[in-house]
Amino acid sequence: MAIKFPSLEFFQELARRMNANPAAFEKLGFCDTVMGMRVLGKNPHLYSLTFDVFECSDVRELSSPEGAGFDFVLEAPLALWKEMFESIQKTGHPAPAYTLNSLSHVGDRMKVVYDEPEGHDKFYRFMATIQAFVDQAADLDIEWA
Amino acid sequence: MSYYGTDDFSYNSDFNLRIRDIKKGNLDFGWLDNARETVDVRRRDPRRGLTLEDCEVGPYAIENTPEVVRDNRGVAPRGAILAPGSEQPDLGPSLNKKSDVWGYRVQNYWEEAMSRQWNVTTDVPWRDMDKYEIPDELEIAFCQLCTLLSEVEMIATDLPAKWSHHMNSYFQEVKGFIATQAIDEARHAEVFRKRALAGAGLIRASVRGEHALKGILEADSYSEGSVFLHVLGEGFILTLFRSSEYISPTPVEQRMFQLVMQDEARHVSYGLQHLKYLMDNCPEVRPQINGFLDEAERHLTGLFNPDQLESMIVLGGKGTTPECIRHGIAVVGAFQGKQIEEYFHRAERAGLPERRERSPLLELQQRMITALSA
Ligand SMILES: [Fe+2]
Ligand SMILES: [Fe+2]
Repeated sequence: MAIKFPSLEFFQELARRMNANPAAFEKLGFCDTVMGMRVLGKNPHLYSLTFDVFECSDVRELSSPEGAGFDFVLEAPLALWKEMFESIQKTGHPAPAYTLNSLSHVGDRMKVVYDEPEGHDKFYRFMATIQAFVDQAADLDIEWA
Repeated sequence: MSYYGTDDFSYNSDFNLRIRDIKKGNLDFGWLDNARETVDVRRRDPRRGLTLEDCEVGPYAIENTPEVVRDNRGVAPRGAILAPGSEQPDLGPSLNKKSDVWGYRVQNYWEEAMSRQWNVTTDVPWRDMDKYEIPDELEIAFCQLCTLLSEVEMIATDLPAKWSHHMNSYFQEVKGFIATQAIDEARHAEVFRKRALAGAGLIRASVRGEHALKGILEADSYSEGSVFLHVLGEGFILTLFRSSEYISPTPVEQRMFQLVMQDEARHVSYGLQHLKYLMDNCPEVRPQINGFLDEAERHLTGLFNPDQLESMIVLGGKGTTPECIRHGIAVVGAFQGKQIEEYFHRAERAGLPERRERSPLLELQQRMITALSA
């Protein structure tokens, strides 16, 4: 069954897959961060993902980042999220220009919004886990908004 | 042999008598005199196993250890019962004040380091190298970058190793964390060496770069070495790794940089938390740290050496045609601006906002980066 993007169900499904696949994520190590994913567009959405040890323990949609305790938020227009997930769906991994680091590094196509440098650095400390988390969308049947 | 003990234990007659007694079964259990009450250590989160934080209890906790450790100069672990008087030998640690080494949350960084270890030989998809054709000019430029990075990683291995035995053994969590850093850095030197040798080979070693690295190794105190390596140097290198992932010729190199980046960011986080702890607890060292950074930041410009710059430009522009080079220059200019900006932000949050005003990097930014992107 197709799953809509952006939607709470989409991120819940990624969390479900992560929690059902402990071997892959335990190999990558502890991951402890609260991050946001923001989809910009006519109908903007903000999702909060809590990574805790080897799991994604909480996923929710928020109306504002206030009080969410985000370490960092990845922010991009819907079209870019779509390009990124479509790239992942081709081979299971993104093409070089579509890794989370590449998208967010130069030109800031994807913005990393943060307040504390330590929160910002968590994006890099847990990069392999967060990349593996989004790569799980490789075989999802996605219905684009 | 340069250490001859004050007692020759092999001929000590008391010891020989005691051994004879013990062999007869006469144990006196003297080692249980003054033993501590058993403490209640609980695994707060079974998924993590038993963590260092779980072990922060009672007399074993760093919280209950004085800021200056005076009773221990040997290698006793924090909480062990020391022999009365001054019988424990003095192994000469020079870092006996907590603020000399400590960083907020250092226990968590140690745990994170242990759980996020990886293996160069098996975790980089080396076999995929055969799948991709890399143009010679990009391959050679990439190997020039690997050569400089190998030099950087050598010093990053040596610096924590150099300071560990100067630290009082009561600061075991810091010693443990920097031991994980030493292995992380050795792994980074390994990955860059292997990648270079699997391709165009090692190219030219850097004179300017090695002078900068010498500055890190020769710092007068651990805090100076830490602020130079962890906050300034590794902060810059973290951005360089991010940039290198971005301009990597294939997914193999991208994976390599994703993995090294994770370790590097952890080292930066510890450095930031050490600097913060130092500024909170020992603000009188601020002028000294600032004076040191004035020179360290000058040294650091050595990492912007022409060989590295040119190779990054070729990689960033994906070639050597005038148009590629123009594009590469713009890409590299943007990285460098980011490196400096992120460093100032970290320094500010650690309690040194004045770096933004007094740093020699500002002039470099004017002289080099603006010119590059113009
Ligand atoms: Fe490193
Ligand atoms: Fe490092």
